[in-house]
Amino acid sequence: MGIQGVGVVERLLRKLLAPLFVLSGAVVVLGFFFPDLVGETVSGRLWLAVSLVFFGSGLAYLAVLPAGDDEGGAFDPEYILEVRRLGLRETVKGFLSRQDPVTFGVPVVAFGLFFLGQLLVPSGTVTAVDAAQGLVTTYAGWLFAVVAAVSVLFCLALLVGPWGAVKLGGPDAEPAYTYPVYFTMFFTAGIAAGIVFWGPAEALFHYETPPPYFDAEPRSEAAIGAALTYALFHWGFSAWAAYIVVGVPIAYFVYQRGAPLRVSTILAPFLGVDGLGSRWCRLVDLLAVFATIGGIATSIALVGQQFLAGIDFQWAVTFGTVGSVLFVAGLTLVFVVSAQSGVHRGIRRLAGVNVVLFGLFAALFVVVAPRGVVAGSASNALGSYAVHAVPMSLYLGDGLLADPWVAGWTVWNWAWWLSWAPFAGLFLAALSRGRRIRTVVFTGFVATSLATMAWFLLLGSTSLHLQHAGIVDVLGAIDAAGGDEAVAGFPVFEALPIGRLLMFLFLALIVVFMATSADTSTLVVAVLSTRRELAPTTGAIVFWGILQGLVAVAVLVTGSAEILQAMAVLTGAPFAVVVLAALVGLAATLLREERDHPSIVEAARSRLVDRGEDADR
Amino acid sequence: MSGDTTPPSDTALERLFYHGEKVRLVYWREFSGAKTAVLLTSLVAVLAFVTGLSNLSREVRYDGPLAAVIPGDPGFVQFTGVLLAFVLAGLVFGLQRRKRLAWYLTLLTLPLVTLLPLTTFQTTDVPLLVLLAVAVPLLFVNRSAFDQRIELSSLQIASLSSVLGVGLYGTVGSYVLREQFGELETWGDAVYYVIVTVATVGYGDITPLTTEAKWFSLSVIVFGTGAFTVAIGALIVPAIEKRMAAAFGNMTPSELSLLEDHVLVLGYGDITESLLEELADETDVVVVTPDSDRASALDDRDVNVLTDDPTDESVLEAARIGDASGVVVATRDDARDVLTILAARKANPEVRIVAAANDRRHVDKLEQVGADEVISPMEIGGRLLGRSILDGGSALSPLEDEEG
Repeated sequence: MGIQGVGVVERLLRKLLAPLFVLSGAVVVLGFFFPDLVGETVSGRLWLAVSLVFFGSGLAYLAVLPAGDDEGGAFDPEYILEVRRLGLRETVKGFLSRQDPVTFGVPVVAFGLFFLGQLLVPSGTVTAVDAAQGLVTTYAGWLFAVVAAVSVLFCLALLVGPWGAVKLGGPDAEPAYTYPVYFTMFFTAGIAAGIVFWGPAEALFHYETPPPYFDAEPRSEAAIGAALTYALFHWGFSAWAAYIVVGVPIAYFVYQRGAPLRVSTILAPFLGVDGLGSRWCRLVDLLAVFATIGGIATSIALVGQQFLAGIDFQWAVTFGTVGSVLFVAGLTLVFVVSAQSGVHRGIRRLAGVNVVLFGLFAALFVVVAPRGVVAGSASNALGSYAVHAVPMSLYLGDGLLADPWVAGWTVWNWAWWLSWAPFAGLFLAALSRGRRIRTVVFTGFVATSLATMAWFLLLGSTSLHLQHAGIVDVLGAIDAAGGDEAVAGFPVFEALPIGRLLMFLFLALIVVFMATSADTSTLVVAVLSTRRELAPTTGAIVFWGILQGLVAVAVLVTGSAEILQAMAVLTGAPFAVVVLAALVGLAATLLREERDHPSIVEAARSRLVDRGEDADR
Repeated sequence: MSGDTTPPSDTALERLFYHGEKVRLVYWREFSGAKTAVLLTSLVAVLAFVTGLSNLSREVRYDGPLAAVIPGDPGFVQFTGVLLAFVLAGLVFGLQRRKRLAWYLTLLTLPLVTLLPLTTFQTTDVPLLVLLAVAVPLLFVNRSAFDQRIELSSLQIASLSSVLGVGLYGTVGSYVLREQFGELETWGDAVYYVIVTVATVGYGDITPLTTEAKWFSLSVIVFGTGAFTVAIGALIVPAIEKRMAAAFGNMTPSELSLLEDHVLVLGYGDITESLLEELADETDVVVVTPDSDRASALDDRDVNVLTDDPTDESVLEAARIGDASGVVVATRDDARDVLTILAARKANPEVRIVAAANDRRHVDKLEQVGADEVISPMEIGGRLLGRSILDGGSALSPLEDEEG
């Protein structure tokens, strides 16, 4: 395990990355401060490549920096053992013997077959998957709506009810992660580049085609409020609740009952902790692996395309598929290095960089944005969200059938969040030892939602204002780029002071948000695919990281990003069922086992009474 | 599955998520020290330079919030970036030595650096602003680390204050006499005239027209250039001396000139280290040894060293044996000890000389050539060992008895 960062490979990596970072950094600084001078000598493509090398090598270098000051410490005995058996066959055999045959074998074979099918009969797969997705989001829309609504209610119950006082891992357990790192790692893992792309874009789309719930004229004053409200709805509490309802049951059974750290642990109330080896559990874990790889790999592929589409739009620097593939390869290197370096090294540090950049961007944006307008429409949207959240959650448009708009946006969105829930929930559970359930819910449900909603309000209302006042035609730009949401940010930033810096930060955020989700998902998939009693080796983590990268590359080459995304969304449907079952199971267990905890109201009252008595004395 | 059995922990969980101590987002203590503050200040200097140069290299609009407040042409702000970068570079030099004065001046300079970015407010200015927002608080938090006083010799203080005095005298005087000067009209002209004159540049665009003004100008030239030259010498020569001396492990003449009532340790032997430990807290010590490796090793530990031959009287005089309170002679060789004692006695017949004899047969010989007391470390050691094994008490007690 490369836990302390003293491995030979890591040392070599550090030696390679440091000069790369410094050299490319020098070029980037020169280009930033003297654009005219550098523009004459360096072409746009080379310039972009150097910038990406600069940022990527910086992130990777940060990830492989050793932990603490124990550089050059004693060799890991396991590492010495590994050196001894150098034979390739033995290595492969040893590697395979640690893998779970079902959760390792099936996904590898299935993804291979999928791309083979894509290459041989592309059109057939496309129509089949598209039809399936349409059917599910239309006819099972009510299921997703119910799951989303129930999840929010459940989170609220945990937050204020007595069960929130349960301390995971027993009353004496101490959290191993301080609160900032806990929030940061979960927030950055749970959300990928989508927040960056959709921040300025989502509200604009709803402004152009208002949601049927609000019945507003397209591009009208009323549509602004409706658009912002729906953007909050799609990215706010209902969305993040999906992670909680997977994460809290896992955490509860792992820390209170000694269940293994797996997604299938949420079935423990029905099968018992000893029955978690059953076929159903295998199936759930398998689905989780599919959903995670499908969700992350398509995101990586889409980010690869959209990142370059944005560059193409803004600076007219064109790249073909080769460019996207190279981008994905670089990104894969970064997140594999980060994932294998461990939670407290790469994953923690990249998450930190991510949050700092996120905060810096938001702060700079607040400085230059039309604050008065933003504050006005943001407070309106928040009020409207508070009033309409419940009816919006229950609205499908056509009785139990989902309206095309609702099916295409809301239901699709819930399914997409649910397909990410297994890995994000598992990661949340893994970090939560020593925390009260209330803290877990507060972090994963309230704090993260507030951060996301602030972002969407800030960017959404700015882009809406610029569009509605006719200052910039962002929608025209999106249409010109073929309806690609990736370009929405650029015209908005261009209309503001320090727009060039905002664009740089925006692009950096895309990369780092993607990397922080992909490194965590790699770790989670490696955990799920390893045999129950074993921990994943560095080799397994690297393997799954590279496999995710390969899937993304294959998706790019075969042009099947939308298909794979549709398939990942389809895995959301079974998860909706599993989540409902898990909630019932957890609620039953909590009712039976955890009776004598105070609710938040009782806790507050008893504290007040104590203080009153203290004062009396 | 009852709740009170201890749950078996999951290996994946333990290996990947829970090993070692508490994980923090940022290990503040590693990043918030004085070192980081100095590093950030030097980064500010570099960024201010680059930003200033970047702004000078193209047409810049003045969009910033300060643009309206700045009196006169905002163009002069363009130069502050580059100029302040040089000032900051000098201050960083002082900050590295943890000088208090450098800390104060840096805190005065950094707000001035914001003048440029807040006036132009280009995209390229933002990194400088962000860096400043981090550097200033960090510098402030670490204020206690910058506690070194600037120690100036009397010559330096005198020359600096005379430069200042002549500058004031020249400026006020030439302004008062402005009617008698060609092209000298404002206070700015007066300052310009004095600096150009004192620095011996003398462009000649401002000239004295009357005899009175000429006499005044002559006085500024004589006192001003004099003070200026002496000040440069007084400030720069010690620095160069120190560099040279550090290379050879030597004390500088100016350091030597400060010595008084010190103890000279002549030669470097087996007992020198414990001797230095004993003396270090009590008095100033100067070691004289021809061994340059030893000398530079001692110099690194801030022990005063003169790398030279202790049997040479001129060397002992340079080490100010005349003002010394005592001399310890302890080379590795008794024959050299004899020569050293002879040289020391010749250079200062009054001083108390204590010698260490490597061979106890040489004790009386060393006394004969002029040592006031001769000790044989070997003999004392042997006696102590014997006493210790016979009495079973502490080996050091007999020594204390003897002293008592």
